[in-house]
Amino acid sequence: MQILTRSFRAILAAGSVALLPGALAAQDIAIRNATLITITGGDIENGTIVVRNGKISAVGRNVNIPAGVRTIDGTGKFVMPGIIDAHSHAALENGINEGSESVTPEVQVQLKNDDPVIYRALAGGVTAANLLHGSANTIGGQSRVIKMRWGMPVDSMYFKGAFRIVKFALGENVTRASSTAPADERRFPMTRMGVDFTLRYWFTKAKEYDAEWTEYKTAVKSNPNAIPPRRDLRLEALTDILHGDLKVHAHSYRADEILMLIRAADELGFKIHTFQHVLEGYKVADEMAKHGAMASTFADMWAYKVEAWDAIPFNMALMSERGVVVSVNSDSDERIRRLYQEAGVGVRYGNMRVNEALKMITLNPAKQLGVDKMVGSLEVGKDGDIAIFSAHPFAPGAMAEYTIIDGKVYFDRNDAVTLRKTAAQGGTGGGR
Amino acid sequence: MARRFLLLVPLALPVAFAAALAQSPGPGGPAVAPVSDYALTNVRIVTAPGKVIERGTVVTHDGRISAVGAQVNIPAGVVRMDLTGHTVYPGLIDAATSIGLPSPTRALPAAAPAATPDAGGRGGRGGRGAAPGVPAGARAANAPPAPPVVAPELDATAEAADMFAPTPDELKALRAGGVTTVGLVFNGGLFPGRIGAALTGTRNESRLGLRTSVGQEVSFGTKRGGGYPATGIGAVAFIRQSFLDAQYEARLDKAFKAGTPGARPTNDPFSRALMPAAGNEMPSWFVASTERQLIRVAEISKEMGLKNPVVVGVQEGYRAIPILKQSAATAVVSLAWPPADSVTGREFGLIGATKGGPGTSDSSITTQVKANAVSLAKGGVPFVFASFGGTSGATFRDRIRSTIEAGMSADDALRASTVAPAALLGITAAVGTIEVGKLANLVVVSGNDLFASGTPIKHVFVEGRLY
Repeated sequence: MQILTRSFRAILAAGSVALLPGALAAQDIAIRNATLITITGGDIENGTIVVRNGKISAVGRNVNIPAGVRTIDGTGKFVMPGIIDAHSHAALENGINEGSESVTPEVQVQLKNDDPVIYRALAGGVTAANLLHGSANTIGGQSRVIKMRWGMPVDSMYFKGAFRIVKFALGENVTRASSTAPADERRFPMTRMGVDFTLRYWFTKAKEYDAEWTEYKTAVKSNPNAIPPRRDLRLEALTDILHGDLKVHAHSYRADEILMLIRAADELGFKIHTFQHVLEGYKVADEMAKHGAMASTFADMWAYKVEAWDAIPFNMALMSERGVVVSVNSDSDERIRRLYQEAGVGVRYGNMRVNEALKMITLNPAKQLGVDKMVGSLEVGKDGDIAIFSAHPFAPGAMAEYTIIDGKVYFDRNDAVTLRKTAAQGGTGGGR
Repeated sequence: MARRFLLLVPLALPVAFAAALAQSPGPGGPAVAPVSDYALTNVRIVTAPGKVIERGTVVTHDGRISAVGAQVNIPAGVVRMDLTGHTVYPGLIDAATSIGLPSPTRALPAAAPAATPDAGGRGGRGGRGAAPGVPAGARAANAPPAPPVVAPELDATAEAADMFAPTPDELKALRAGGVTTVGLVFNGGLFPGRIGAALTGTRNESRLGLRTSVGQEVSFGTKRGGGYPATGIGAVAFIRQSFLDAQYEARLDKAFKAGTPGARPTNDPFSRALMPAAGNEMPSWFVASTERQLIRVAEISKEMGLKNPVVVGVQEGYRAIPILKQSAATAVVSLAWPPADSVTGREFGLIGATKGGPGTSDSSITTQVKANAVSLAKGGVPFVFASFGGTSGATFRDRIRSTIEAGMSADDALRASTVAPAALLGITAAVGTIEVGKLANLVVVSGNDLFASGTPIKHVFVEGRLY
């Protein structure tokens, strides 16, 4: 066994692990002598973390590494939970917006599993993401929450156990404020008033639909010939929202529209689970917290459009201070590679504690996606989703060196550099 | 529309072929020229995959095979062809092509005034058809409203076999590759119509349509003009809802017939059109080629309880064998190979996921793509060959040869281009083998291998007519 281990390490050292069949299939891995940023249990210096069968089996200073487990020397490195992006449109195909109608919660986005953005996200330590429908609709389509299992078929990338999430949107995108089409050719709603009405109209219909089904379920007990109502996938999805089975992530910017949506949701009887973007959230954080809504925002997107004119980089810190669970997201194929830098903005603007800032890309987005029991911190029993950084992730120049999901190495910076060189030379080692 | 079986075969056959083939034209059908009878003598006969008569005779009469065997009495009055050194095969079947079919994304005809009720298509579709705007004042004030125009992408009862209108050159090109029968599949739309089968004789000499309502086509297209669904993501939701509505309509129908109080079918024509497919009385034919599309088909089939779906294209089937088996799908494999740089997973080889291993270079992807049908055969997925999305005729035969070169047995390849597609298209009684009573669809090659490189096709018979 020892010989086997030694030769295995020798092969690793030679950098030819790629040739070992099943090297990626192993779901056991250990990292020793690293600084472990556990998120929930403080930072552990000179710590060791072990993953067995894809789950974290040990975290601490005095941890034995079982024989034969691939071990990465973490000396000088920082190990953190895999980064989670609560808002991305990366790696989607066949449309981001089913914008033909303003209410389409029966639609679901489609993952394009071989989009290189997934690999680039891995290179930034990202292990999971919420791939959302666009913001063209008052009530858009459903998300896909995925793990970045690069190389797998689409259905093997879905994050099992995650919330079902539907996208709502408010403001300029929904009302097509930038449309140049004549008003009589534009889709309703064209104003924030119209958005409010659209919500009330559809949820009133959904409640009627829900009542029809309740009535049927009662009737069928005494009359087996009772005719069920027609299944309507759109109204069924809205009913799922009313019942809390489908979580609302609402694209929003301005304080007034955020308050409007909270009022509408309170009146209609559903919850806004997470406000997305929410650039003026700092103005209405108490109201959001009272409603029970979380927030997923940008680090800084001041005035990139009219409705973003009051955005400030202190937003993350201010909302957190008022008790809102805050994440920072990418909404971008570029920023998804450096979310750890985005989270660092909270320390500079608003004096967030470092661990609180790191929560914004780990445990907090995990809560927003319903996966905090599985990921988001380094704890025994959670998934082996881990990012290994060359330095503290907030340090200038820090880079993800390994990104691990379920104990499998999906990104290894040494390999990536080799592959890039080979590809650049037109060799076959990287593919061409 | 009434011609469910357009060419009628008079044998003790499945219900499908209940009536008789008539050389005289049917009502409204084209005039059919008389056909000579032939005797192909001294010829090697591959009657079916794996079944060979080394030296024998095939006799045709009235467009059909009237005798086949080593020792056959040749009736007087037939045209004798000594085919020493030649082999006769059943005519090839290309199980899916859009040649000669209108595009489901074609422009709609302008709305006609109410005075010409024929214009405007096939009648109502429950408001799903986009009725183009009629200019104000185009109709008399008290004229009845024009019938709604059915958008071709949602014309669920459109019969491909009825709409098959190839040019003489297109038919000639098909025959040049030994293709005597085609499965007809629309290219595009959402529910663009029903799959059909047709012959490749010339229009003047043969009625082309062979069978209608083979299957209900389902495609991940969009509705025109930005209507719902405007995207591929919307299409999936729309398709699911359409199947649900059809199943609900069937349920209401049944309850109404049973006298259940309150039960009334909606009589929505679109839902009614999909009832056979939604109830598994007619197979659903999904157009899907990529790994991801194949997964989507499996998900929809499972959710809607669709048994034995047919999938057309399946170009990345080799990546999705467990999925195809899970949904008990039959693969209509397009032999139009996708370029390596469009294939799912190429990026995996380029960056990271399958580094160093086999199957990461473009040339090895091309090898995998060409061996797609071989992989499906090994994986136990039922499959037939088609040219869908590519070129039929000679190219089709070349691609079958390439598939044999990639590792498929010649018998399996012949099966996938004769008896298997005949069964899938429901036309086994008429075509697929050289048997007495079947249509005389024959391909004669010099030498003994239809698929050998450089083998010229000497003669092609369609419905007994020599081309």
